[in-house]
Amino acid sequence: MGVIEIHDLVKRFGSTVALDGLDLTVEAGEIHGFLGPNGAGKSTTIRVLLGLLRADAGTARLLGGDPWSDAAELHRRLAYVPGDVNLWPGLTGGEVIDLLGRLRGGLDERRRKDLLERFDLDPTRKGSTYSKGNRQKVALVAALASDVELLLLDEPTAGLDPLMEAQFREVIRQDQVDGRAVLLSSHILSEVEHLCDRVSIIRAGRVVESGTLAELRHLTRTQVQAEVSSPVPAELVGLPGVHDAVVHDHRFTAQVEDAALGDLLARLAPLGVRALTSTPPTLEELFLRHYDQSGAGTPRS
Amino acid sequence: MNGLATLVRLALRRNRWFYAAWILGMAAVVPATAAAYETIVGGLATTGALDLLAENPTMRAMLGPPYDLTSPGPFTVWRVGTFMATVAGIMAILGVVRVTRADEEEGRTELLRSGVVGRHAPLTAAVVVGLLACAVLGLLVGVSMVAVGEPVVGSVAYGLGSALVPAVLVGVGAVAAQVTSSARAARGLGLAVLGAAYLLRAVADASEEGSVVRGLAWLSPVEWMALVHPYDGERWWVLLLPAALTVLLVAAAFALEGRRDHGAGLWAVRPGRDRATPALLSVGGLVWRLQRGSLVGWFVGLAVFALGMGSLSGSFDTMLERIPRLEMMLRRLGQGADTLVDAFFVAMLGIVAVLAGVLAVQLWQRLAVEEHRGHAELILATAVPRTRLATAYLLLAAVGSTVLFAAFGALLGLPETLAQGDLGPMLGSLRGALVLVPGALLVLGLAVLLHGWAPRLSWIVWVVVGWSLFMVWVGSILGLPDWLVRLTPWEVLPALPVEEMDWTPVLAITGAALALMAMGLWGYRRRDLRLP
Repeated sequence: MGVIEIHDLVKRFGSTVALDGLDLTVEAGEIHGFLGPNGAGKSTTIRVLLGLLRADAGTARLLGGDPWSDAAELHRRLAYVPGDVNLWPGLTGGEVIDLLGRLRGGLDERRRKDLLERFDLDPTRKGSTYSKGNRQKVALVAALASDVELLLLDEPTAGLDPLMEAQFREVIRQDQVDGRAVLLSSHILSEVEHLCDRVSIIRAGRVVESGTLAELRHLTRTQVQAEVSSPVPAELVGLPGVHDAVVHDHRFTAQVEDAALGDLLARLAPLGVRALTSTPPTLEELFLRHYDQSGAGTPRS
Repeated sequence: MNGLATLVRLALRRNRWFYAAWILGMAAVVPATAAAYETIVGGLATTGALDLLAENPTMRAMLGPPYDLTSPGPFTVWRVGTFMATVAGIMAILGVVRVTRADEEEGRTELLRSGVVGRHAPLTAAVVVGLLACAVLGLLVGVSMVAVGEPVVGSVAYGLGSALVPAVLVGVGAVAAQVTSSARAARGLGLAVLGAAYLLRAVADASEEGSVVRGLAWLSPVEWMALVHPYDGERWWVLLLPAALTVLLVAAAFALEGRRDHGAGLWAVRPGRDRATPALLSVGGLVWRLQRGSLVGWFVGLAVFALGMGSLSGSFDTMLERIPRLEMMLRRLGQGADTLVDAFFVAMLGIVAVLAGVLAVQLWQRLAVEEHRGHAELILATAVPRTRLATAYLLLAAVGSTVLFAAFGALLGLPETLAQGDLGPMLGSLRGALVLVPGALLVLGLAVLLHGWAPRLSWIVWVVVGWSLFMVWVGSILGLPDWLVRLTPWEVLPALPVEEMDWTPVLAITGAALALMAMGLWGYRRRDLRLP
């Protein structure tokens, strides 16, 4: 059974529909990427899971319980880092970490110390004097230092520099070894690509794509660039599964569907390949294909 | 000063309703009072009761020096002028801090400063708009007095005074915004200065004629409008005092702003503990930590006010000796000095009882601030149920305001108790305070109900509190119908010791307050959290 099971979730704010029949499943022990642009409904989904907002329709199960009515009990078993961390101006980072840890039910002292060092965070500074990145670190330390089954992270690295982002990835990977599940919302695709086992892509309040990275890649095309000795015959441009082909003298570039790759390579080989690069599809491309098409609610595949 | 015109327009646009509400609210009272002069004063003038009113220390402490009560103009200046100048000062401080420190804290100023905007431009815009609001207020006051038929010269003096006194507080707000590093602290500092000025003149005005203390009124900016003596041989030069002080304070604010970093105050933020103390590690501990500053501030303010006012009562005897006519009149009315002291205590407790309601609502509404700023989200994502978080705020609001008001009651009677060597006066004023506590609980209950079910309508509670404060302070004299004046949560409670103890309203209002609180908490458990 999944740690998060959401089915057909609807949440409205007045006349705005924030979640429009959202489905999402996160299995125990997996790192699940939750991808989408700003305003797609990522934070709203997480806040419904936290019992901060009440769903208008649909079902949501969290760690086997009801996220609304069992909220406080369930929160002992999870930790949350909001997208925009606001700290109390008069409390120090160390005080906030201790407070949130205690209110959740306890902190691992060794991890607290270790994480403060890793993230290079000064716990004696007051909330009003931290930068955005440092506020984020305070919330991350508080969340990661607690002994929980599930981490809900809403764009956790938005304010971190690349060095700290790398530290963050390392910590999350170690956590996975401990069997912790993570729901990681992000629009930083490389982060999701590096960390996540499975990904759900959300758009306008619905999950439009969900699966492992390998499963999602079949939907995408590989960028192929070839330089050949003989002129490129025109029929290559019209091959099924080959898109946006450009022939320039001895050079050939195109976006190729996975199924058409073999055929294309077989036709390129006799031309005398001097150089060949094929770039695997990034999530960026995957992502753009879902959001570049205005209006369409269903993805093109 | 690049971009100043744009910033002034922006500040005007963003604050037009704020200033409009304050100015119209205040300006409406002035002609109303002047027009009601005959109703209020009526036959009093011939009986000598007017002199009694003029020498009554309670009235003098609350309202200022009555230099001439025989015509509507100076009567209005006395009855509402000083009080309104003080309220306009609140407007000035809040208005300036809104545009300076509050914007800086929220990061809006940074956005502006990163454009082509001079270093001092946001402060200049705040001061310009603040002074403009004071000028509009003064103009409305002057024009409306002329409109109800008062002499033009006196009305000009009254209008100028009404504009220049809050202008000083524009300067105070501007300086406070530089010294502190948060809007909350800036507002606190500015209002503390204003409160001290009001208290100083209250003590001065209520002390004996000719004493050194009475002369101290000249040191209080909120008194300067009255000291001009509009409609009574205007002393125009007095207007130079607020004008000069305003210029001085604004100049100081600019100098201070030039010496500090953006986002920082002059009071630097020191590092704190790397670990939380056990006292912080609970919801109650957190709420106490967040609120203790304002509780201590309120306690100091109320204690000073109580002891200042309480020590006045000791001078009543000597005052009666010095003014035999006053004593004769009191005798004829069947009252003595004791009654005078009791009436004084009742008046003071009546006002501060409403302020205790302000405190209770303010302590409770910190929860709304915590939601708005995203702090509540952090707490409620841990194993803390909503009702526990809300109850922590509610308990501190109820207990904190009750304890502080009870302390005010006890301290009010303390000087009299020390003078007489008898616990009676202190216990009397303490009892008088405790019996008024349910009024604050009722407005607190209303605030809880609104926050639980309709958080957008939370301002309604401030209308109730504002109405009550207005009625207890100036309402009775405006000639409004009695039932209207008594239409506040406090008026139905017995005013000990002048009135008899009556448990029915005390218990009824307490019960209603508890019911509202329970309903509010129930609603709070059911609704969406308000998120940043």
